[in-house]
Amino acid sequence: MENRPLLEVENLDSGYGFLQVLWDVSLTVDRGEYVCLVGPNGAGKSTFLKSVAGLVSPMGGRVEFKGNVISRLPGNKICRLGISYISEELNLFMGMSVQENLAMGAFTVDDKSKILETQDFVFELFPVLKERRKQFAGTMSGGERKMLALGRGLMSSPVLLLVDEPSLGLAPQMTATVFRALDVLKEKGVTILLVEQNVTRTLQVTDRGYVLEKGKIILKGDSKDLSQDKHVRKAYLGI
Amino acid sequence: MAEVIERARMNGFKKALDVLCLTPLGLLCLVLLAVLPLVPPFNQEYLIRWMVVGLFMAAQAVAFDFTGGYINIVNFGFAAFVGLGAYTSAILSVKLGLSPWIGMFIGIFPAALVGFLTGVLTLRLRGIFAAVMAWFIGLAFWGLATKLVFLTEGPLGLNCPTLLQTSSNLPYFYIILVMFMISYVVLKRIVRSNMGLAFTAIGQNMEAARTSGINPTRYRIINFTLSCAFAGWLGGFYAHYYGILMPDVMHTSKTIEVLVVVYIGGRASLWGGAAIAIPFVFAMEMVRSVFSNYPGLNLIFYGLFLIVIMIYYPGGVAQFYAFLTERFKASRLVRLAVGNRLDSP
Amino acid sequence: MTMEKSQSLQLDQVIKGLKSPAGITIALSIVAAVAASIDNGFYVIVNTIVTGGMWALVAMGLALVFGVMNIVSFVHGEFFMIGSLTAYFTFTPFSDYLMDNPHPVAEALLPILAMLASVIAGIVVGILCELIVFRPLRKRTREQWVMNSFVITLGLSTFIINSSQFVFGTDFRGIVSYWDYPTLSIFGVYISFDRFLVFILAMLVLGLFWLFMKSSKFGRAIRAVSQDETGARMVGININGIQTLTMALSSALAALAGACLLFMYPAYPTVGLGPLYNSWFIVILAGMGNVVGAAVGAFVVALLQVLTTIYIGEGWDYTIPAACIILVLIIRPSGIFGSGVRGILDQ
Ligand SMILES: Nc1ncnc2c1ncn2[C@@H]1O[C@H](COP(=O)(O)OP(=O)(O)OP(=O)(O)O)[C@@H](O)[C@H]1O
Ligand SMILES: [Mg+2]
Repeated sequence: MENRPLLEVENLDSGYGFLQVLWDVSLTVDRGEYVCLVGPNGAGKSTFLKSVAGLVSPMGGRVEFKGNVISRLPGNKICRLGISYISEELNLFMGMSVQENLAMGAFTVDDKSKILETQDFVFELFPVLKERRKQFAGTMSGGERKMLALGRGLMSSPVLLLVDEPSLGLAPQMTATVFRALDVLKEKGVTILLVEQNVTRTLQVTDRGYVLEKGKIILKGDSKDLSQDKHVRKAYLGI
Repeated sequence: MAEVIERARMNGFKKALDVLCLTPLGLLCLVLLAVLPLVPPFNQEYLIRWMVVGLFMAAQAVAFDFTGGYINIVNFGFAAFVGLGAYTSAILSVKLGLSPWIGMFIGIFPAALVGFLTGVLTLRLRGIFAAVMAWFIGLAFWGLATKLVFLTEGPLGLNCPTLLQTSSNLPYFYIILVMFMISYVVLKRIVRSNMGLAFTAIGQNMEAARTSGINPTRYRIINFTLSCAFAGWLGGFYAHYYGILMPDVMHTSKTIEVLVVVYIGGRASLWGGAAIAIPFVFAMEMVRSVFSNYPGLNLIFYGLFLIVIMIYYPGGVAQFYAFLTERFKASRLVRLAVGNRLDSP
Repeated sequence: MTMEKSQSLQLDQVIKGLKSPAGITIALSIVAAVAASIDNGFYVIVNTIVTGGMWALVAMGLALVFGVMNIVSFVHGEFFMIGSLTAYFTFTPFSDYLMDNPHPVAEALLPILAMLASVIAGIVVGILCELIVFRPLRKRTREQWVMNSFVITLGLSTFIINSSQFVFGTDFRGIVSYWDYPTLSIFGVYISFDRFLVFILAMLVLGLFWLFMKSSKFGRAIRAVSQDETGARMVGININGIQTLTMALSSALAALAGACLLFMYPAYPTVGLGPLYNSWFIVILAGMGNVVGAAVGAFVVALLQVLTTIYIGEGWDYTIPAACIILVLIIRPSGIFGSGVRGILDQ
C-alpha cells in the first residue's frame, strides 16, 4: 500500500462526445513528485488533466487517487479528495473580487482558521493578490489572473496540483514568478503535475516527464534523460 | 456530376415527386387526405371542419418549423404574425370593401415587414433573445388588437366577409389544402437548396457557420421574414374562413399549440408537424367532446406531451419514422444478403 | 489620500454613474414619478413603490434562474399562482374559524402563516420541477439547452395552469384583506394596512435575499455557478445541488409574491401570466441574468405601468411597457444594467 503511487492512471481513453482524443494513456505520479506532461498543441494534454479532474468523463481505463478509483466521480467530489486543477482558461469568477475568488477556492474547507492560514500563505506567495484583494477578477491583467487562479487552486490545500500551461501568454519575468511559486509549493510537499509549452525550463525543474503526441504517450523518463533525448531535442528544444 | 446523372435517370413520376418534395408514401397520404372528405363517415360537416382546422394547423406548423427547426429560433410571437395578416385582410375587406382573395395576399406584407424589423433588431443576438422579443412584439400587437376598437372592434370580434358565399366546409378544405401544399413545397425547396444548408449550419452552431464564411444574421433574417410572411398569408385564410376575428388569434396560447404540434411531429423536418396536425386536432377535439365538463383537459395533455417529447424523444415522430425506415431497409438488406448466399452455391 | 480628494473621486463616480444608461433611466424615472405626483397626487409614488416591491420578488427569481441555470423560464408565473392558491387555502378556513371565535393574536399571525405555507409550496414545486423535468433534460440536451429548456417550461406552464383549472376550476379565489386594520395615511395618501405591511415584508425579504447572496457560503456558490460553471465545479461545488437550490429559491420568491398579493390578485389558473409578463419586461430591461438590476428594474416597470394606467388608460399596461422596452433594447440590447452574469450577444 505504502509504495503505491499517489495518482495512477491506467489505459485511459478519453474525449468529447464521439471524438476520442486520448488513447490508452498510462501515467503515475508519486507523492511529493514534480512531474511534467509535454507535447505539441492539440495533443490532448488539457483533455488528460480534465479527465483526471473529473471535468471530462473518461471513455475507458482507470484513474486511481490515494487508492480510490476516481474515474467515474464528478469534478466536485474529486476536488474534495484533494486534487486541484488550474485550467488553461483559468475559469475565474469574473464578477467577484480577488478575496471572494479565494474564498470560493476554499469552498470545501470548513475550518475558518485553516482558511485564513492558507490565504496568508497565498498572499505571501503572490503579494500582488493582497494589494488587489478588493479588485474584481474581471478587471485584472492576464498575469494577475494567472496568479489568482493558482491562488484559488491552493485554497483547498490540495495534495495534488494539476497545472495547465501556467506560463501561457506571460512575459519572462511573470513566467519566472510562476515557476518560483511552483518550486515553493514543491518544497512544501505538494505533488505537482505540470503541463507546459516551455519545455526547456520545465525539464530543468521537474523530476520526471511524459511526452504526449496525438493522444498517446510516446516517451517517458527522468527529466534529465528526456532533455538529452534525440526526439525531444529536435521537436521541443529546437536543437 | 453524379447528381446530374441521377436526375437524368429519374422518370417523370419521380421528377414530379421531387418537385413536390414528397416520398411515395407522402403522396399516397396526400391523395387519401384529398378524397377523405368525400367518403362517409368523414363527409360530415363537423369532421370536415376539424380537417380544415387540422390543415390550417399543419400549414402553420410548416411555417413555424422553418425557423424553429432550421435556424433554431422559436418564434414565440408566431400567432401575432398570423393575426397581423388576418387583421390586415379583414380590416381591408370591411373598411375598404377589398376582396378577401386579394386581402389575403396583402396580409403578407405587414407580417413580413414586422418580421423583418424584428429580425433586424434581434437576430444578431443570441437566438433566445429573438424568441423573447418576438413574444413581446406579439404581446404588443395583441394589446393593440384589443384596444384599437375603432379598427378591430376589440374583444367583441370583427365580422368580416368570408371567402365564399357558402356554409359548406368542403371548398375551404380544398383551399387550405392547396395553401398548405404551397407553403410546404416552397419552404421545403428552400430548405433543400444551398440556403437551407446555411440555415442548418447556423442552427447547429452559429460560430462554426460564421467561420465558414456564412453571414448568420443575414440568413436568419431571410428565414425569419419568410416564415412570418407565410404566417401572415395563412392568417388571411383564418379571418375569411371563420368570418369573425378576435384578438385572441394573437394570443401566446395559439403559438404554443403550433409549437406543440411541431415538436411532437419532429423539428427540422417540415413534414413531421404537418403529418400529425390532423390526427392531433382530431384527438384533441375528441378529448374535448368526451370530457366536455372538464375544459382544459386536452391542454394538460399538450403540456405533458411537450415535456415528455422534449426530454425523451426530441426528434419526435419524424425521428421515429427515420428509425422505422432504417430498420426496414436493414432487414431488407439482411434478407437480400441471406437470400444471395442461399442462391449462390 | 486627503478627504477632499476622496470626495471628489466619489463625485466623479456619481457623475459617471448618472451618465450610464442605468443612471439615466433611474434619474428619468424619478423625475417622471415626481412630476406625476405633483400632477396627480402622491399616491403615484406610493403605488409604484408598493407594486414595484412585489414585482422585484418575482423578477429576481426569474433573473436568478436564467443566470444560474440558463433557463429562460416561462413557468415562473405558475409559481406565483401556486403561491396565491396555497395562501388562499391556508388563510380562508382559519379566517372563517376566527370569524366565529375572535382572537387578536391569531388574527395578526394568520396571514404570516399563509405566506409561510406558500413559500413551502413554492420550494416543493420548484424542487419537483428541477428533479422531474430540468435534470433529466439537462442530461440529454447539451448543445441546444437554452431553446430546449425554454420550450419545456412552456410545456410545464401549460400543464400546471390546466391542471390547476382541472382541480380547482376557474373560480376567482380572493380575499378582501389579510389584516382587518384601519387604513394608514402617509403624506396624506391613504394606503391599506395590507399594502403597507406587504411592502415592508417584500423589502425585508429582498434585504435578506441580498445578504444571503452576498455573504453566505451557498449564496456565493450560486453566484459562482452563474459566473463560471466549470470554475465552480473545479472548486468543489456540487452543481446539481446549487441548481436545485436556485430553483427552490426562485419559485419560493414567486410564490411569496403570489401570497402577498392575494388581496389584489385573486387566485385563478392564469393569474400568473400578468406577473410573468411583468417580470420578463423587467428582466429584459435590466439585462438578462442581472439579479440586482432586476430589483431596480422592477420599480421602473411598475412606474411605467402606473403612469400608463393614469395617462393612457386601463388595459394598455402591457402594450405600452412592451413598446417602451422594445425601444430601449433597440438602443441597448444588453439591457440598461448590462448582463452582469452572462452576455446575450453571440460574439
Ligand atoms: N470541448 C471540446 N469539444 C470537442 N473537442 C475538443 C474540446 N476540447 C478540445 N477538443 C479537441 O481535443 C483535442 C485535444 O485538445 P486539448 O485541448 O486537450 O489539446 P492540448 O494538448 O491541451 O493543446 P494545447 O497545447 O494547444 O493546449 C483537440 O483536437 C481539440 O480540438
Ligand atoms: Mg491545452
